[in-house]
Formats: sequence, C-alpha cells, structure tokens
Amino acid sequence: MTPHSQRILVIEDEAQILRFVRLALEAADYSVSEASTLNQGMLQAGTNQPDLIILDLNLPDGDGIELVKAVRNWSDMPILILSARLQESDKIQALDSGADDYLSKPFSVGELTARVRALLRRKSRTGDDSSPLIEFGEVQIDFSKRTVLRNGAAVHLTPIEYKLLSALLSHPGKVITQKALLKDVWGPTFTESGHYLRIYVGHLRQKLETDPTQPKHFITEIGVGYRFNI
Amino acid sequence: MNSKILQTESNLEEQSDWRHYLATAGICCASAAIMTPFIGHLDLANIVMLFLLVVVLISLQLGRNCAVFSSVLNVLLFDIFFVPPRFSLAVEDGQYLITFAVMLSTALIIGHLTASLKKNEKLALNREKRTSDLYTLASQLAGALQVHQVQNLTQTFLAQQFGAKCLLIVTHDDFISSDTKFSGTDFFIEPHIATAVLQGGKTVHSSAFDKSGWASIYIPLKASMRTRGVLAVSLTVHPKYITKEDLSFMEAMTALIAVTIERLHYVEVANIAELDVAQERLRSSILSALSHDLRTPLTVMIGLADSFQLIKPLASQPILDIANEIQVQAKRLANHVSNLLDLARLNEGEIKLRKEWHSVQEIMGASIQYLGAALANNKVDIRLPQDLPLIHIDAVLIERVFSNLLENAAKFSSKNSPISISGRMDADELVVEFQSDGPGFDLKTIDSLFLPFSRGNSNHSSGFGLGLSICKIVMESHGGKIQAIAQHNGALIKLTFKSGTPPELEFQE
Repeated sequence: MTPHSQRILVIEDEAQILRFVRLALEAADYSVSEASTLNQGMLQAGTNQPDLIILDLNLPDGDGIELVKAVRNWSDMPILILSARLQESDKIQALDSGADDYLSKPFSVGELTARVRALLRRKSRTGDDSSPLIEFGEVQIDFSKRTVLRNGAAVHLTPIEYKLLSALLSHPGKVITQKALLKDVWGPTFTESGHYLRIYVGHLRQKLETDPTQPKHFITEIGVGYRFNI
Repeated sequence: MNSKILQTESNLEEQSDWRHYLATAGICCASAAIMTPFIGHLDLANIVMLFLLVVVLISLQLGRNCAVFSSVLNVLLFDIFFVPPRFSLAVEDGQYLITFAVMLSTALIIGHLTASLKKNEKLALNREKRTSDLYTLASQLAGALQVHQVQNLTQTFLAQQFGAKCLLIVTHDDFISSDTKFSGTDFFIEPHIATAVLQGGKTVHSSAFDKSGWASIYIPLKASMRTRGVLAVSLTVHPKYITKEDLSFMEAMTALIAVTIERLHYVEVANIAELDVAQERLRSSILSALSHDLRTPLTVMIGLADSFQLIKPLASQPILDIANEIQVQAKRLANHVSNLLDLARLNEGEIKLRKEWHSVQEIMGASIQYLGAALANNKVDIRLPQDLPLIHIDAVLIERVFSNLLENAAKFSSKNSPISISGRMDADELVVEFQSDGPGFDLKTIDSLFLPFSRGNSNHSSGFGLGLSICKIVMESHGGKIQAIAQHNGALIKLTFKSGTPPELEFQE
C-alpha cells in the first residue's frame, strides 16, 4: 500500500529526541536507523544509503556540517538539519554546504513529518524522470512549453520572473539561500543585491498566489532565503 | 641653575665683564714688554705682526669685545713703546700713521672674524649636543608604553636641558576644562591659555615671570591626525633667557612627544577593538550554548508530549488532553526562552544590525506563517498597499517585532475578532499599525508598557511583557518608533520606520 518503507537515518546525540523522532517517523511508515555520533553517522550514511538524513548539527565528535559536505560528494539524498543554534548564519552555512532544509528546535512532530514528506516527495519526483508538468494551488506550469496557467488562463511572466520561478521550483521543499538564488538568476555580481528578490518574488506572489500577503507556496525564510512548497 | 643656562645662546655671547678686559690689558702689556728687547734686532713691521698675533689669540679666547679693545690698546702700545720717539704718542715719520691705520683695521677685522668663527663653533657643538639629546629622547620615547612614562621622560629631559618643570596634558576633547586635575605638579596651569593653545595650535610664550610658579610656556602636541594635548612648561629662570632657538628646540621635542602620544592612542584603540571582538565572540558563544541547553529539554518535552498521539493503542482521552496541555505549555515556555535570549542578545552592548532592503509585506507574511496555529482564532486582515517602498532593516529582528505584536494581539483580543494590519506612507516615514479589539491600553500604564517585565493593565495570566520591550529596543535601534495608542474600542500599536531611498534596479530585462 505504501511507496514507503523509505529509509531515514537520524543522527542525533540526545537519546530522548531520537526516541520521539523515531516514534513519529515509524508512525508514518518510514523505516528508521539511528546514529549518535558524527563518525557513526558517516559510516551508516555510506553503508545503508538511506533515502533521507535527519541531522543534528551539534554532535559530540564534531560539526554536522562536515557530514553534509562529505555526503554531498557522492549523493544528493535530502538532508534535513535540526538545530538549536540562534544565528541565521549557521543555517545559511548548512544550506550552502548542501543541506536541503532545517528545523529549529523546539519543533513539533507535525512539523517534522511535514518537512520529511516534502523532501521525500521531491526525491521521488526527480527519481522517475521528472515530468515537465507541475501543479500547485490554482496554477499549472508546463516547463516543456514554457507556459504558466492560472485557473486555465495564461499568466504572463517576464523572462526574469520565469527564470526565478524555475530556480525555486527546481527543488520543491528545499530552502534555497538568498545568495544562491541571486547567483542563479541574476549572476555572480548580484549576490549582495537582496532587493531584487524582494521585488521579483513579490511579482510572482502577485501573479500566482491566491493571497499574496499570506503566501502558501513561495515562502520566505527570513534572513536565510526562500522555499517553494507544492 | 645658572650653570645649566650657560649652554643657551644668550650666554654664548662673551661675558664682557671687567675681568676679561683686565686680562686683555694684562696680556697686551706683557707681550709688549716681552717684545721690547727685540727693538733694533727686529724690523718694526715684524713687531706689528706679533701684535696682530696677540689680537688673534685674544679674540679666540675672550671674544669679540676684547678683540676690539686689544686692537686699540695694541696700536697705542706700539706707538708709545716702539715707534720713535719712544715713550710718547708723537710720531716722527708721518708714514707711521698709515701703519697705525692698517694695523688697527687689520686687527679689528681679524679679531671679528676669529671671534665669529669661535662663536659658530660653539653654536654648532651646542646644536650637535641637542640633536644627540633629542635622539636619545626619541629612542627612550619609542619604548614608552603609557602616558605617564612619557610625562616622566619629558620631565627629566626638560630638567636637564633648561632646569624647567613640565606637565603633559593629553586630551581627547578640544578644550581643557578648568576642573581638570593637574595632579603631581607643583606649579599652576591656566586652563584658558592651554585651551587656546590646543585649539590654535600655536605655542604661547608668556614673558611674565612669577615666582609663585605658573607655567610660562604652552606648546601644542601637534600629531598627524589632530592636536593631542598641550605641554605646559614652568621655568625656574626668567623667560627672557629663553631664546627663539630654545623655543624651537622645545617645539621639536614636543613634536616627538606628540608622535609618541598618538602612537599610544592608536595602540589603545587597537586594544579596545580587539577586546570588543573577543567579548562579542564570548557573548555569542555563551548565548549559543545557553540556547542549546535550554532548547534541548524543551524539544524533548514538546516532542514526547506530541508522541502520545502516536503510541498504539491510543491512550484514553483525558491522558491525551493532558499530553496536549503539556505540549502547549512547553511551547509557551519555549517562546519565553526565545524572548529572554533575544533580550539578552539585544540588551548587552551594541546591537549589530544586518540591514538589507526588505518589503514589509513579505516580512508580515513570514510572521503570520511562523505563528501559524497561534493565530487560528483570529482573522488577520492585512492592508499593506503594493506600492509601499522597501525599507532598510534587519529582517530577522523586524520579523520578531511583527510576530510579537501579532501574538500579543491574538492573546489579548476576544475569540474570532479580527486583527487588522495597515500600512501607509506618512511624509518620509513608513507607518504600520496593528489594530485589535483587545482591552486597549490604560493611560496610566501606557508609558511603562515597553519596559521589561511590565504587562499593561491586563491581568491576563500569560506573558511577561518581554515581547514589547524587545519590540521597543529593535525599533529604536533602527531609528524608528513604537507607540501604544489609547482607544476606547481596542488596542492600537503604531510602528514608524524611517524610509530611505532603495537602490535602483540596474539589471534591466
């Protein structure tokens, strides 16, 4: 009945957190393996080849970011970061190293499973020869024809808006840092020009969101970047 | 002290007291007596040469005035004792008058030249001595690490050179106030003169000499960036003995001191900067560790309370309700912890803003998204016009402000009542207002609303009121304002941001 029994590796040194994360994931029919140190985590990520890694950055034997970098050398499996750190810069560093999303502690079970679902959906989508069609809310996008429809009516996007849309939609559920987006869409000399994003993401929301003031799909991660949710 | 003064230029002038003239007269007479036996053996022309030699020697030893005196005396002696008729001023042969004239003028010229040479030599030696003294001082100053060491070195140096006392007044202001404590000195300073010197950058040399001990010379400490203070010098001799050359020597010395003081200033600045960085790092790592230690148990509590819903077989409803309440309370605690940590971060030292150009709509959207279920009981009505300009703010902090205000509005307003947010430009300010139907603000407590640990007039059980004080700190650090406005039908909070000129979009499609 499930495409599940997808395997998730949880790397977390706090036994009680590990406990409820396992409970939550198993209740959602994922199979869970655990590691409580960085080295153990590295080893398991290599041998078990999980479908997703949940990683605490603060591990007793090192910085979780090392593991993100190492895994990115050979795999693009989704990585979800758990962090109790304060600064946005830590999140940006983790995301720029290759992590897909982060969850600030404390978080609820509902938030955790929602993020995991979103990340694994992306994986299965890219897995089976991703279709050029994406649908969300009232919008249908056909990347092969470069058309955007809202409630069946064509929406006109400028070339930059279209480029930004493709950049955001390329990784649903993944947080893309502001710097990475600016570099992708405008080029490397624009990485400090955050105001372009404010304006153009605003345009996309106006054209594609039902309520642009309370967006459901083009989500701002304040101080970090943007995320597209299907 | 007079022996010290001997080095100064005024004293290089020969001390033309009577003893020197007496010595000159003695030497001239003695040499005339010695030459007397040679009459008849030596030609008179050669004897004239011997007299000239005596003039040269006297001018070398006793200076210009004695040289002139000996020139005249020698001519007289020559006339009286050597030129026939001897022992009389009368002259037999008129040609001797020419001899006298030539002898006198030659003696005067030679005497003058020799004396000048001698004087220049003395001056040169003196200058060399001073240069080497300055060099020594410079190398001592190079090792100085504190202002009081510089003061001591200067004091010793001036005492050696001039027998003077001094005080180094170092200041960061552009005035020297009259209540400055000039400690450790036994002479007085006139602050108004010192201030004038500091501002004008010119040495003041007062010629009035007062035994009661007032400083008579004020030299500015002119360094490359600014004047760093004043050196006040109190002399033990009358200021008239201090020549222009002495003053420029003192100024040269002061320039060395000024450079040293400036170096010390920048060393201090660098040290403070380094300390700041170290403190900032320490503070941030303490807060980070604290955050980790507080949030980890809260994460466990919230997660485990949540897990009751997942454990099969499902627990009975009362147990689930209790678990849910534990979860709600733990979340509330987590929120307070966040606020306390924020306050700790914001309250201490300077707030480092990471400003960028942001849209108010976007941040508002993120706040609403962040609060999620906390706003479930209220309809949030957002009226932020599309054409509001971008503002230059730290988005993370402003998001905290919006979230805190929205959360407060939800907490204090009645169920299902709307929270409305409106925005507008008011002259060059961007105004955002949060309106809810809460109990409103009491005029009596409205001023204390934004102080930490106050809670307005409400007896509502939750909330420390930390949220509003965080809002105030953040808004003020942005040069903006937060106001609570008393209304009879609800609560109104008004935020005011300074608007600037957002950068142009250079990238054209």
